[in-house]
Amino acid sequence: MRRTLLGCAVVAMYLAELCSAQEVHVPALVSAGNETAISTTGSGKATLYLSGPGISSKTEINLGEKFILHSEDVRNAGEYVTIVCTDVCRSAVFHVRPSKPAYLTFLVHPSRVPVGQGDAVSGVALPFDEFHNLVLDRVKVSFQSTAGDLRILSQSVLTQDGVGWFRAASGKSAGKLQIVATVDSLSSVRAVQQVASDPCNLRTKAHRTPKGVDIETEPVRDCSGNLVPDGTIVTFSAAGPGGRNTVDAPIKQGIARAHIQTPGSLVISAASGTVMGNEVRLGEQP
Amino acid sequence: MNQLFRIVVFVAVLVAGTISLKAADSSVKIQLDTNKSGPRAVESRTEQAIMRDYGTAWTMMARALEFNTIEPLEGSFVGAARTWLNDSVAGQQRAGLTSNYREQNHKLRVLFYAPEGDVIELRDTADFQLQIMDGAKVIYSEHVVRHYTVLMTPGADRWIVRQLQAHPEF
Repeated sequence: MRRTLLGCAVVAMYLAELCSAQEVHVPALVSAGNETAISTTGSGKATLYLSGPGISSKTEINLGEKFILHSEDVRNAGEYVTIVCTDVCRSAVFHVRPSKPAYLTFLVHPSRVPVGQGDAVSGVALPFDEFHNLVLDRVKVSFQSTAGDLRILSQSVLTQDGVGWFRAASGKSAGKLQIVATVDSLSSVRAVQQVASDPCNLRTKAHRTPKGVDIETEPVRDCSGNLVPDGTIVTFSAAGPGGRNTVDAPIKQGIARAHIQTPGSLVISAASGTVMGNEVRLGEQP
Repeated sequence: MNQLFRIVVFVAVLVAGTISLKAADSSVKIQLDTNKSGPRAVESRTEQAIMRDYGTAWTMMARALEFNTIEPLEGSFVGAARTWLNDSVAGQQRAGLTSNYREQNHKLRVLFYAPEGDVIELRDTADFQLQIMDGAKVIYSEHVVRHYTVLMTPGADRWIVRQLQAHPEF
């Protein structure tokens, strides 16, 4: 009987000690970079550990006193574990959520695009707070694109899981396409170079010289009237009694030029990509 | 004799390292759901690469926080994720703490895959055994379930974690 009573007393003392052990109270949710506090119950010395994204610390504290977490302690969004140890350790978990948008990451593709292409340009905007946490609350992102004074795109979307995006056709004119993403007072600008699309038609002219035949195209344009970029290859062919001669020439300032040394009557043609030009017939050299 | 002893120690460390690497790798289980991915579809090779590289990233993160060294983070993390992991390792070094992430399970779902494939956003419901040690003393040991939003971008030969952000719930 005495033993049983003694046993009960020991258990009661143990339970009492457990019950009187420190408790840890943490904030429910903290906004990134906002000072907050952890409170404990009990009395005496203890060790407080904080483990979270970007922080691992160990501090001696007095139980019952508030422990301040400074702005820099809670700048990263995520889960924080607070552990307070005396003879036993108690823990509590709290979360830090992203603050309001302070930066905008804006990815735009491609850097060069042919005019008149459907769904050819896309952009992705991701808002981050001042501590580089991805802002997951829905925010409105406005996308606007202009070519010169002409507005090509104006679209607003709400971010979903921290992402807002668009996809659009390229414009009609070669030149710089400026695309702006805006969230509140934040904006980010990107530029896409719109270049002429494939040649729409080829007009070729040729004339004999003492040393052969000079061939050149008229200014090569796409179907929207833009000059095809320099470097685009035009293939000239000259078919005559001696066979076929072919030469590739890059376009320079809209025009491709070539020289062919083939005697006799010739049929000259030109091609670039899938476009064939007119045929030019030259008689035999007098 | 001394030379022989050094060789034996070197081989032992090498074998132990290999065993530990295999153990750590096998303890990270990854599942990836690409059913609702968009606007770009995730091709099967991309899916495999993401599972492989995300798993490697967690293995390396666990190793960095267990041994308090930032070297394992090289190549798997960049940007904000790399910064906070570096800070965590430095903080642990100062405080004499280590963290062990064991028995990891990651259920990933693709939230967004950019039209040009240059960024992917994932949601990870991760569960693992987390143990925090002060020297040799275990001060925290819990089975933890965490929800992460993850941004990964393609690098030269792998996908790299750029953002790893835990949230209370989805």
